[in-house]
Amino acid sequence: MPTLDRRRLLGATAAAGSVFLSSMKAHAKFSGDVQLRGQIGRYERLPTRDLESLEDFRTSLRSFINTDFQRAANRRAVEIFREAGLDPREEVSMEEAISILEADPIIMNQTHAWITNQLAMWRDTQDYFHSQADLYLSEMAAADNAGPGSLELNPGMHIPEYTAWEIHNQPGGYVGDPFAGHMYHHGTNNLWIHLNEQDGMHQSIAESAPVPDDGRVKRCLDMGCAIGQSAMGLKERFPDAEVWGVDIGAPMVRYAHMRAADLGIDVNFAQRLAEDTKFPDDHFDIVTAFILFHEVTIEGAVDIIREAHRVLRPGGKFLAVDGSFLVKQPVKTAAHRWRTWWTDQWNSEVWYMPYDEYDFPKAFRAAGFNVGSTPGPMYSGGQEYIMGIKPT
Amino acid sequence: MAEKMTSPRIYDQPTYAADYVKTDAPSGVYLTDAHVDNLMQIVYSLGTEIWVDRQRNRIVESLLASKKQVTTEAIEQYIPTEEEKAAWQGEQDALVHRVYSVLARDTSGHRKFSKSRF
Repeated sequence: MPTLDRRRLLGATAAAGSVFLSSMKAHAKFSGDVQLRGQIGRYERLPTRDLESLEDFRTSLRSFINTDFQRAANRRAVEIFREAGLDPREEVSMEEAISILEADPIIMNQTHAWITNQLAMWRDTQDYFHSQADLYLSEMAAADNAGPGSLELNPGMHIPEYTAWEIHNQPGGYVGDPFAGHMYHHGTNNLWIHLNEQDGMHQSIAESAPVPDDGRVKRCLDMGCAIGQSAMGLKERFPDAEVWGVDIGAPMVRYAHMRAADLGIDVNFAQRLAEDTKFPDDHFDIVTAFILFHEVTIEGAVDIIREAHRVLRPGGKFLAVDGSFLVKQPVKTAAHRWRTWWTDQWNSEVWYMPYDEYDFPKAFRAAGFNVGSTPGPMYSGGQEYIMGIKPT
Repeated sequence: MAEKMTSPRIYDQPTYAADYVKTDAPSGVYLTDAHVDNLMQIVYSLGTEIWVDRQRNRIVESLLASKKQVTTEAIEQYIPTEEEKAAWQGEQDALVHRVYSVLARDTSGHRKFSKSRF
């Protein structure tokens, strides 16, 4: 996960967000809203003290696993190569990298610690929301038809299997658990070590979304919107625009809509595929996709890029933000192989290996985009950006 | 191998949950065998449970220090001051370091005593 800079993440965007929210307060809260422990800013606290404490501790444990423990594992990997008379900068095959590194107790202990912590985080959140299922299902049902904004669910739609994996080991993935949105929200706060509790990261992405040269922004779309944080950020930046978020996960867009209604932010959410959004041609001025492409197949990615091109009007701009988007490692070292395999195997980012090899700027051009440069979001992290401009 | 799953729980209300593909990660063996994995999982879980109790203790102490009534509700709803948040974070990080940093120590020069003595 990216390393975030607290000052840039929260400082630069908090002021704009709070002004917007204060102006929307009169619309906030739908009838049936459940807030057992209140809200801090735009973050609804976890529903019990003990669950919050569990997650707090897991955040510290995660930090240790990702820093001191990771460095120990890295040191050990270098030693293993030295002992074997190998140069860690040289290319090796995936099989060779795995066989060299997976037998080491420090490396595997670090891996096991990370996975154990991750699985426990999901399990505790899932267990809680399922233990109170009637309460939280009723809350979502109450919000389904509340405004501002709208929600479209399509229970009969075909869900492609590639979208149904338990990415990041999240139980049920984005489609298979009624509380996928709840888990995703609290889980990603843990993954981002609580630095995104006020949605600052997503707001910074929305702030950096490139505007068409004529300055006209009437409609925006966030593809693969998850729980709607980027879409809400777009609405906050362009209050007069019609903003949509689409995601294949019904529980995700239900939560997104509930949260937007709770915050009084007028965004429309729909359960639709990013590669088949159902919107007319030339409809949007801006399209965004945040950390979507590494979670889809290459075939899916190509279709999504084509769809973004189709729904953008001439001169419209597509901002795609993802990890390792542009820099492809020319030499596949053991460390790179190991990390790639690790991501696929143990973080269940099952489409990551082909993603890691794919030339995305080329795919953007093939779909008809001019590929431009963008300063990118204000937060500093491991993400990279591609801006596609639909020719006029 | 990953297997296809149906959303496991059924409720009276619509859930909009669909079939999904289960991850392999929980059934992996990471250390010498699955039982050692279990033991390490217990170690992490115990640390977490200690912190849960400690945080409740800290809240009770804060409530008592400010002469407020200590009730379950007061503990649940307690919002720490910025100073308390920083102190709790430091205490939490220190606990993780004290308990778990041994896992990251450099053991490259370590050897079994039997080998050094005989």
